[in-house]
Amino acid sequence: MLKRAGSSVTALAAALTVVAATSVACTNAGGAAGTAEPTLTIGSSVAPPSLDPTASAAASITEPLDYNIYQHLVQVNPKGDIVPVLATGYTLSPDRKTYTFTIRPNVKFSNGNPLTADVVVFNFKRVMAPNSTYPNKRAMGTLTAVTKLSESQVSVSLAQPDAEWLYQLAAYSNGVILDPTAVGQISTTPVGTGPYAFSSFKPNYSLTFTRNTHYWGAAPGPKSVVFRYFSAPSAAVSALRSGQIDVIDNLTNSNPIDANQFKNDPGFKVIAGLSTGKVQLSLNNANPQLGNVLVRRAISHALDKKAILQIGGNGYGEIIGSNTVPGDPWYDPALAGAYDYDPAEAKQLLTQAGYPHGFDMSLTLPAYGYAQTLGPLIASQLKAVGINATINTVSWPLWLSKVFSGHGFDATIVNQALAHDLNNYANPKYYWGYPDADQVGRMLAEAKAAPTQPEQISLYRQVLNKLTSDAVNVWLYDPAQITVARKNIVGLPGSGLAASFDLSNVSFGGPLSDDARAQGFSD
Amino acid sequence: MVYAVRRLAILVGCLLGASVLTFALLHVLPGSPAEVMLGTQATPDAVASLNSKLGLDDSLLSQYLDWIHGLITGRLGDSYLSGLSISGLLAQALQVTIPLIILGTAVGLVIAVPLGVVGALRHNHAVGTGVGAVSQLGVAIPTFVSGILLIVVFSAKLHALPPGGFPGWQVDPWHALQSLLLPAISLGLVQGAIISRFLRAALLDVVKSDYYRTARAKGLPPFQALLRHGLRNASIPVSTVFGMELGSLIVGAIVIENVYTLPGVGTMLLQAVTNRDLVVVQDIVMFVAVLVLAINMLLDFSYRLLDPRLGGTR
Repeated sequence: MLKRAGSSVTALAAALTVVAATSVACTNAGGAAGTAEPTLTIGSSVAPPSLDPTASAAASITEPLDYNIYQHLVQVNPKGDIVPVLATGYTLSPDRKTYTFTIRPNVKFSNGNPLTADVVVFNFKRVMAPNSTYPNKRAMGTLTAVTKLSESQVSVSLAQPDAEWLYQLAAYSNGVILDPTAVGQISTTPVGTGPYAFSSFKPNYSLTFTRNTHYWGAAPGPKSVVFRYFSAPSAAVSALRSGQIDVIDNLTNSNPIDANQFKNDPGFKVIAGLSTGKVQLSLNNANPQLGNVLVRRAISHALDKKAILQIGGNGYGEIIGSNTVPGDPWYDPALAGAYDYDPAEAKQLLTQAGYPHGFDMSLTLPAYGYAQTLGPLIASQLKAVGINATINTVSWPLWLSKVFSGHGFDATIVNQALAHDLNNYANPKYYWGYPDADQVGRMLAEAKAAPTQPEQISLYRQVLNKLTSDAVNVWLYDPAQITVARKNIVGLPGSGLAASFDLSNVSFGGPLSDDARAQGFSD
Repeated sequence: MVYAVRRLAILVGCLLGASVLTFALLHVLPGSPAEVMLGTQATPDAVASLNSKLGLDDSLLSQYLDWIHGLITGRLGDSYLSGLSISGLLAQALQVTIPLIILGTAVGLVIAVPLGVVGALRHNHAVGTGVGAVSQLGVAIPTFVSGILLIVVFSAKLHALPPGGFPGWQVDPWHALQSLLLPAISLGLVQGAIISRFLRAALLDVVKSDYYRTARAKGLPPFQALLRHGLRNASIPVSTVFGMELGSLIVGAIVIENVYTLPGVGTMLLQAVTNRDLVVVQDIVMFVAVLVLAINMLLDFSYRLLDPRLGGTR
């Protein structure tokens, strides 16, 4: 009688065992399971919302597509230097307003179309068009002329000299070179000159590339690359352990502590290099208490940045003291020590400011791991000097709406991730409401127009010194990009100084060319 | 006939109410799709221009009517974020979620039927009490906990089954089925435990009834008597419970899809909520509402087949 019930359970168990047994071979083969060609599978935590980097600012679009599918005339390497890619070289006119690019010959898009001077002119015009949606368009300034000088040379003239212009072309979607015949399908089928060609996109799930058979340079190691997106950090880690993926691009986005289990494991390697991000405690300068520079300086002294880096970044990163990171030409390490950890000094400054018993404020946290981890730590460090910070957590859309657009906050913890973003301090409407933004704007314009690099650096440093002295925000640390990969994968980017996860030098087993190593790609 | 028409009218009324509620709630929530899409590069002008492009600055009533009109004519619209057609995305996502729910229900029934039968027939013995305790445990375990435990045992330790992901039915149907196995078991464990408890109670009623005693008296062994005379009577309360549990089955599928990173409807919904992709959320909620209400309506109709005594419409 029970035999019937029992037998159906036994049948199910038998079926499960058969399925499981036959799958052991499949799952153990790792990322190349079942395929003859080497596939590099990368686990990432934020899926791109769309495929068009010229219409959306999301870093999740730039990371896979830039430098892998799309290329620029000049690009940023993992050392942070600007290197010529689709241009073989460039010259700057004596008045520093005109760049002349020499275009690399025999370059084809993945659909076979050639890269010509006309194509380059088309792309500059597309960025500068009145209704163009390029998110960093403003950084291009005003172009007075884009001229095709010959089949291999294009000149671009700026209204003002701008020392940052070339970097903006290299680092941001402003510089992406598109095939004019393919721009109609740019959000579904990206076509570029890079080492990989687009293959397929499953929203929120995966993005697949294959080798670009028309690529002008040396073919990369993998025949195809798959970016897999995991919404749960533990899922990516299990996938790496079980062999389903080969690389996790950046543990900082999910949980830096996960690096510990791979650090001493001989089967894996951890590549940690600094990024362009600045994890900071942003202060609303329009708030009555926080509007007082003495209070902001007091808060800067109240925070123990070493503990914060250890708890928030698992030690992977570098303490900073202004809106600059190692890797910026104007970086000054002395700024990191401008406000040392000194609660007594903090209390003194608060008394001087008129708050001997401290005051109350709110601490708004976005739903990111680092913010959730650091919130209670920072609140307790502030409590020790008398400031009562009440934590409230908001989802990202709410953070954008309430804090970023609505300026309804006192303090918040966020990672300002864009590189060379001093312009935010020249914008009086940027969410922290810096009252001296116009003055900083004038100082930055002067720095960008300076004739030599040493003068530029000295002028940028004056801006940084002012920002630090005014303690506009409390800059905590530059988080490292923490990549975890199987031991045999060579040529991954050694830092997060470029927004792209550049796979042009990747191979299974190496060796890595000396040139790639010199550019900052990892062994 | 009159009953069918009345039932359909109730269905349509419920759907209308669901649509109004969904639309109203989503538009009351703070955070706009344009702000999320522009991120920290947003300026008030850019936001206004994007709002206008997406049609978000029309009046709420006209936006609602446009949406309902679209749903009725089968045009689900495009995602704000990616511009891709929602019906295409939904069709792709359903390739994962529908098999998952069916497999999960199958696993649930395979667990529930033996447990329920044993629990009813042996209710006075230690075995029956033990079965009751096991089902209690099954009800108490949250779905994601069982999901993670299964991954730890079968993927990380035994390397027997993939810890997540879905290769696609076209590329590799065998591996695709394997990818759904652990998720289906996680889903089925809880559902099976819940249904087994209702089945046991319903079967106990049968066991204590006169007609069962008559069947036994006529010489049928206990299990045969249960099967031929009792199961049909027990199936009505059990299918009612199944209809009620369908909602929680779908919610469970959403949680499981997150734990196992399956590109199904649940993942699509969560991402859309995170990114304030309002039209995707609206469409998915309505789809799920249609599914649950339609299935419950079919179950209501099925009672007449299962029990001819329920013939009247009075």
